[in-house]
Amino acid sequence: MGSAGLFLGGIPALGSDTVEMPPVPPIDVHEAPPSKKSPLRMPGLYPGRVVEVADLRSITGNRVSQPIVHDMLERGLKELTGENSTRAAFAKFIEPKDVVGVKINPSGAPACCSSPELVRDIIEGVRSVGVPLQNIVVYDRFGYEMDLGSYQTLMPPGVEIVGVQDGLLDASGYDANVFCEMSFFGEWETRSYMASIVANRLDKIINVPTLKDHSASGVTGCLKNVAYGTFNNVARSHKEPFSFTNPLIGVMCSVEPLRSKVVLNIMDGMRMVWHGGPLTQNQKFIYQAGLLMMSTDPVAMDTIELEMIEKKRREEGAPSIWDHDPKSITKDGREFYEDASKNLFYRQPGHIAAAGKLGLGVSDLKQIDHRKLQIS
Amino acid sequence: MTDKSPVPAGSAVNENDWVTLLKDNARTGGFGAPALPSPAKARWQERVGGSIRSAPVLHDGTLYVTSSTGYLYALQADTGRQKWKFKAGGQIHSTPSLFGSVVLFGCDDGRMYAVNGDSGTKAWETSTDGEIWASPVVRQGMAYFGSADAHVHAVEAQTGKRCWKTALGGRVYGTAFAGDKGLFVGCGDGNMHSLDAATGKIQWSTLTGNGIDSSPALVGDTLLIGSQDFFVYAIDANIGTVRWKYETGLGVSAAPAVSGDVVVIGSKDGFLYALELGTGKLRWKVPAGEVITGPAVVGDSAIYLQSWGLLALELATGKVLWRAGLGSGVQNVPVIAGRTIYLTSHDGDVYALE
Repeated sequence: MGSAGLFLGGIPALGSDTVEMPPVPPIDVHEAPPSKKSPLRMPGLYPGRVVEVADLRSITGNRVSQPIVHDMLERGLKELTGENSTRAAFAKFIEPKDVVGVKINPSGAPACCSSPELVRDIIEGVRSVGVPLQNIVVYDRFGYEMDLGSYQTLMPPGVEIVGVQDGLLDASGYDANVFCEMSFFGEWETRSYMASIVANRLDKIINVPTLKDHSASGVTGCLKNVAYGTFNNVARSHKEPFSFTNPLIGVMCSVEPLRSKVVLNIMDGMRMVWHGGPLTQNQKFIYQAGLLMMSTDPVAMDTIELEMIEKKRREEGAPSIWDHDPKSITKDGREFYEDASKNLFYRQPGHIAAAGKLGLGVSDLKQIDHRKLQIS
Repeated sequence: MTDKSPVPAGSAVNENDWVTLLKDNARTGGFGAPALPSPAKARWQERVGGSIRSAPVLHDGTLYVTSSTGYLYALQADTGRQKWKFKAGGQIHSTPSLFGSVVLFGCDDGRMYAVNGDSGTKAWETSTDGEIWASPVVRQGMAYFGSADAHVHAVEAQTGKRCWKTALGGRVYGTAFAGDKGLFVGCGDGNMHSLDAATGKIQWSTLTGNGIDSSPALVGDTLLIGSQDFFVYAIDANIGTVRWKYETGLGVSAAPAVSGDVVVIGSKDGFLYALELGTGKLRWKVPAGEVITGPAVVGDSAIYLQSWGLLALELATGKVLWRAGLGSGVQNVPVIAGRTIYLTSHDGDVYALE
């Protein structure tokens, strides 16, 4: 695999009114060699369209209802695609010959992670198109987080479950020829490599992020789930209290072949983490929202997600995600996990709009076709 | 079928031996162990690398450890020095079991391996169609294990020759319990199954509300198991009816431990629960970690548990006696041998604490 160099730099960090952020260093991108770009690539078949399906019965006492999630997924996909069945909707994105990755988010497991009930239903949908179970891969970067979510046990037999890396320093699951290179804080390893499974094996990816606040990036939605869940050595982008998640998240999502392979985003909003993300287990910050969102446009969906979490934080009396008041910053992780007015970093929700500027989707709320379906 | 090895399979001859998950086939791990004081030092520490997401076993002065590096390691228990290592064909998440001096373990490559414990050479291997995370249970010359291929397999422990396999409705990651009443195993489709150990025929199945990756314990004719439906179940081992169930705050992956009339089990909600064996009534519950997925070891008056570190609690009350920051684990279980605690961690370290 060769490389095509691309030099990006100087994308301004948005939302930095009250604190002067350090300048964004240049990011050198080495993509896979040019190939025919997929027409399904981000922002996909339906730029700017986000379908939200809510059903209060979908989560009760922290338990997700498989049959109700099934119904929600069906209704949402039909609305997104205009098709009259789940199978036909999935067939807009998936072909029977595809090897399909389901990129889950287990990083908050077990309190808030991609619900196995939803993942099982997505697998069934992919299977209905004619993809054999052996060609469906449920994956994430960290195997031990998948262990905590019991995904191995809860997925159908035949589906492959893959944790790309074992420990923080395990790079064996990454492609040495596809990477982003930058130095944020003088770190010794300045490259972040793309997971080999994404670079070389999967044909299509269905992205299943969760609805979560993130202490460094503002929210962790579609964009961050595939960016920081595909490239290694990414925690170095934030060092208290500063964060370069803007623009790194969007830049990583734009790297081929990742950009072409992510064809559909299904956000698991059964639970909403409105503070303490991405790892909190503190139930007082986890709201059982009971919703799903579907879109091919990760920027549009994350824009809606950001609005939802902002609204919830206002209701709870917590500062805005955009807040950059130095008094909000703490170095005490325990304080952060207990106090919604505290944070470890100056969050960078501007990464969503920055991704929009890279052509990955629509970040202007007025231009987003946000369709809401309230089932019960 | 009888055991041909000098050490009866699944039972410990030396009182310090732990030859399978939670010491022996009765899963009595910790019985007789005194309440140890907080460890003062590490006698040794050995980094084997990768991630250790299984429990070590101990036999005749050798500690056997599996790792995601794909190696089974044999370490001298007194020094930590590596005696040998054996490379399997994939990552290993399976806790080993001893059959005499032969070490059995499953592997992500779908194989069950048997390795000579003295030399580190392979005795036999047998294949399944899915990864094997469960620990093999060895009883009366047979090795029983579940696989992600949705089957329970029975092979001769001496040769690896297949005796039977039984199809279930989901992946099998929990370790079976083998006893006089048969074989008991939980399944990813939510069923708890009882199988005839001789034939593999399913005797009864009891459905819970979600998948099971917990490993059962049997006390008398009461079978105890956790489920991802948040409940701990007590099931009549003879007919499969539910005697009681107790609701925790999240899924239950940990295996139950029993001491007298108390069942001790952790939940992913971070609490450790002590329940009355006969009724399921809560005796106490304490926050013992952010997430608990590994089984507790219950000693005479103390409980030892690995979560984000090692901690000891008072059996009678749940009061935390001490914490040690070492040994964060997923399915890791401390081995208590005399006054030494052997620990593995998901960071790839092995410790002997005193």
